[in-house]
Amino acid sequence: MALVEARDIVKIYPNGVLANDGVNLSVEQGEIHALVGENGAGKSTLVKVLYGLETPTSGTIQLRDKTVHISNPQAAIDLGIGMVHQNFMLVDSFSIAQNIVLGQETTTLGGLALDRQKAISDTEALSEQYGLFVEPAARVDTVPVGMRQRVEILKALYRGAEILILDEPTAVLTPRETKDLFNAVRNLVAEGKTVIFITHKLREVMEISDRVTVMRDARNVGTVVTAETSEAELARMMVGREVFMVVDKPPVEHGQPVLEVRHVTYINETGRTLLHNASFNVYESEILGVAGVEGNGQTELVEVLTGLRAATGGGIASVDGRSVLGYGPRKVREAHVAHIPEDRLTNGVSVMTTINDNLIVDRYYRTPFTRLGMLDLNAITENGNTLVKQFDILTPSGELPVGSLSGGNMQKVVLARELSSSPRLLIAAQPTRGVDIGAIEYIHQQLVDKRTDGLAILLISADLQEVMKLSDRIMVMYNGEIVGVFPNTPDLTEEKLGLYMLGAERQPAAEMEQYL
Amino acid sequence: MKLNSRLLSSRIVLLIVSLALGLVVMFAVTSRMFDGSLDTMKDTPDYTSVLLVNGLIAGSVVLFVLELRMDAVRVVLTVIVALLFGYLVTAIFNLDSAQRFTRGEFKVSLASDAAVPDVEDMDIQYGRARAGDFNNDDQPEPLEEDRYRFAGSEGDEITILAFAARANVEVDLQVALLDADGNELAKSTEVTQEQIDAYKPDLKSTKDAAITNYTLPADGLYTIHVKPEDLSQSQIIKEMLSKTRVAYEAFLLGPVDRVLRWSFWIQDALTLILLGLSIAIVFRAEQFSLGAEGQLYFGALVSGVIVLSFGDVPKTLLVPIALLSAGTAGFLWGLLPGALKAYLGANELVSTLMLNTIATRFYEMVLTFQLQPPDAGYTASDWFPSSGQLTPIVEGTQVTIAVYVVIAVVILTWLLIRRTPIGYEIRMIGANIKFADYGGINTKRTIMLAMAISGIVAGLAGAHLGMGIHRKLILNISIGLAFEGVVVALLARNNPLVVPFAGLLYAYLRTGARFMESDANVSFEVVRIIQSIIILLITAQALVTIFRRRRIRRRGTLDLDLEAGANGGLPPSLPAEEGAHV
Repeated sequence: MALVEARDIVKIYPNGVLANDGVNLSVEQGEIHALVGENGAGKSTLVKVLYGLETPTSGTIQLRDKTVHISNPQAAIDLGIGMVHQNFMLVDSFSIAQNIVLGQETTTLGGLALDRQKAISDTEALSEQYGLFVEPAARVDTVPVGMRQRVEILKALYRGAEILILDEPTAVLTPRETKDLFNAVRNLVAEGKTVIFITHKLREVMEISDRVTVMRDARNVGTVVTAETSEAELARMMVGREVFMVVDKPPVEHGQPVLEVRHVTYINETGRTLLHNASFNVYESEILGVAGVEGNGQTELVEVLTGLRAATGGGIASVDGRSVLGYGPRKVREAHVAHIPEDRLTNGVSVMTTINDNLIVDRYYRTPFTRLGMLDLNAITENGNTLVKQFDILTPSGELPVGSLSGGNMQKVVLARELSSSPRLLIAAQPTRGVDIGAIEYIHQQLVDKRTDGLAILLISADLQEVMKLSDRIMVMYNGEIVGVFPNTPDLTEEKLGLYMLGAERQPAAEMEQYL
Repeated sequence: MKLNSRLLSSRIVLLIVSLALGLVVMFAVTSRMFDGSLDTMKDTPDYTSVLLVNGLIAGSVVLFVLELRMDAVRVVLTVIVALLFGYLVTAIFNLDSAQRFTRGEFKVSLASDAAVPDVEDMDIQYGRARAGDFNNDDQPEPLEEDRYRFAGSEGDEITILAFAARANVEVDLQVALLDADGNELAKSTEVTQEQIDAYKPDLKSTKDAAITNYTLPADGLYTIHVKPEDLSQSQIIKEMLSKTRVAYEAFLLGPVDRVLRWSFWIQDALTLILLGLSIAIVFRAEQFSLGAEGQLYFGALVSGVIVLSFGDVPKTLLVPIALLSAGTAGFLWGLLPGALKAYLGANELVSTLMLNTIATRFYEMVLTFQLQPPDAGYTASDWFPSSGQLTPIVEGTQVTIAVYVVIAVVILTWLLIRRTPIGYEIRMIGANIKFADYGGINTKRTIMLAMAISGIVAGLAGAHLGMGIHRKLILNISIGLAFEGVVVALLARNNPLVVPFAGLLYAYLRTGARFMESDANVSFEVVRIIQSIIILLITAQALVTIFRRRRIRRRGTLDLDLEAGANGGLPPSLPAEEGAHV
């Protein structure tokens, strides 16, 4: 008997987008049910329907074989359905206990005062029961992300959730925190709860789930028992064709150093040192991966190197011997540095501008795009057409705004522009963030091919697996400092890197020197 | 390709539609101006120039439709909605127009061939008349009705006339004859045409009242009771509507009534087009600079001083020099807030408003203490020498060669924005300044240049006001004209090719309002209301765009991805908002 069943859910958004096209989902009592699919496959819409955030155009939801109408989240909560959103919905300035009991507080003095003690003891009891460790009295904005997520889960449990929907819960976690989360999820199931787990990381699906429902193009492709499937099969179901999860990465000897960074420091306006004394090289035909939990100086490193931020103090950074520190983005680009920015929508593209115009932002002022002080529209269109073709950007015309493209195709626009600028060094920050599997595969292969052809690549990614898969060497950053540099040999494990990423270990200077 | 041929055919349809619309507009304007008569047209001096300008109007319509496509419908709807609101306001303004039938000076006369009975203290007697003024709000106690006693004898044949005192008084009277006990013996609310003819010149319209050849039944005292007729609901509404119609006709058709009125429209449109272009440039760069007002003042002042000082220089040299200097003055006065914004982070809205005040006061100071002739009765400079005036292309009007200047500026602005590297930079910092920065564009320099270039155009608008329209420098040469330029730029979606249409449209409304004020005595404020509604509606539309953009930024690719998924991976053709065709 299924606990929750969604039958023939159709959801058409007011703008005419068909997000769910007859989707069926059946989740059984006490299981961990993974829901996977590429961005835009309709996973989020489906769970929004389950949680009452969206009303389906047609189709029914059955809970314990009874048809229910979930018109808003409160109705869902009353029915025992809880949801943990990707972006946490917590009051930052409240304590954890206050957040958990928010809206259902026990009051004293006839409703005039909140019973804080009871809030704390309730939280402690709940935390104990499900093995989800939190500090009840701490303010939310002072605790790490992993704990905030546990607060969200406890909040749902406090409201009597029997079914928990977790929307991409691991996207913000380190490997260690992910492990903790998985243990907690297993505890929940042991306590009789049911979990719907949304992700697009197949390895996690294999590790945690009992069954998997795969979605593609607004439909569910199928539901399989995890033990009877493989990552490759799931990927094929998601993409609709064979996916080669392994990149073809021939071994090459690296060449001369292209980027040389020495003693680069960045201190922000409030006096915090966000990047401390960074020194490293990136060589021809090499991918240097930067591992680290986000917010440990990677962003600052990239922005200092690309001229978006001025370094503090007297470090040196040079590309092919040409100094790039202290110059703006134009000078840096003219030193043959290409840059895939971490936030595609803020820096990488201008969504309201055409694809063709997006593809010339670094070269519009040079021939053939500008002749005699006037733009040559034919050259611009031709450049656009060539790159759209060469990089497989799915669009009917280069005259459409970039905003009309999917995330993967937007990233291909960035990639096309940056790789076609004949760079010597590519700084790629989060190159596959928010991109579907097909595009990830494509981007990975492009990066590796270019590296084989001699490009020096500095790869920054929050996805440790990506770093390990692509890099020739791996540099770990913690708290604004480089705490370790390792050649990417098979004996380098995620666990080992994890220790460095969390600051638990630090490579001795002499050893680091050896791998610079 | 199928897609291409479909695009092509839809483009051809659009072209035909726009050309047809343009021709209709041109024909309508021209025929109205010349009362639909070719002879009248040919008798008009410089009628070919009029036709040329009307042809340019048609061209602006074509560009408007071609550039904005479906958005053009939205703009037109916006204006129609605003006009409807304006109609309502005008109607409310005219609510009391029927009241004029209840007020005004009147006379009552009593006539009879019989002898006057000898009774003292009567209000009126045979052969006499009385006068009064109904509902005059200037009096402490307005008169609402009046009664006159008189003495009569049995068998006296009397005639009572109640009529408006003068031809232009519209009071609608009723008169009744009462006996001593107050019983109504006879009553009249209107008169016939025969009676008007018979009792000239007292009776003038059917609204007067008359009791003619009435024979008194007995000796005694009688009372004449006269008052304005009560207004009926339908009369009130009918009056309101007819007055509103008259006002709106003056508003909507006034500017094309005859050549002189048309010229007011065109000269105002030229100013607004220049200012709209100026604002469009800065808005394109997402800089909310309102400095056009100050730049206009400097442009007017510099060009004015030059033509006043070098009147002997031949026109072909003086006019270009004056225009160039006006542009340069505007450029510099725009560069200043641009530099403040780019290098010191000063908010451009605040700094330009402050600089506007400085520019205006400086202009007033120079005008009052340097340029004003000592014997002048009011603050203004001397007339510009004829070598310093823009040559009219339509005789007897101020429609000058500024028309050609404006055409050139429209084309140059369009080229600047669409076809030059600096235009690309302006568009990119406007669309996403962080992207521009990342791509290597010098955003500070671009901000500064955008504001300075916009100043050139505003400076030219100032020169047009001085050298073209007023032909001297006057106090308050512009009262917030730059802000009208904002409306024009908003209407045109900051697209230089659409600005001419938007400027013409908005100038038409402004000029129409002037004629509504003079012809129908409806306040010019009505046009302010229309203007506010246009701004509200357009900013509401702009908000939709902003929200959409922000949603794309915040939610990443979610919505668009959904679309892509639903269409089997092919990205949908988004309604091209700004980037695709502007």
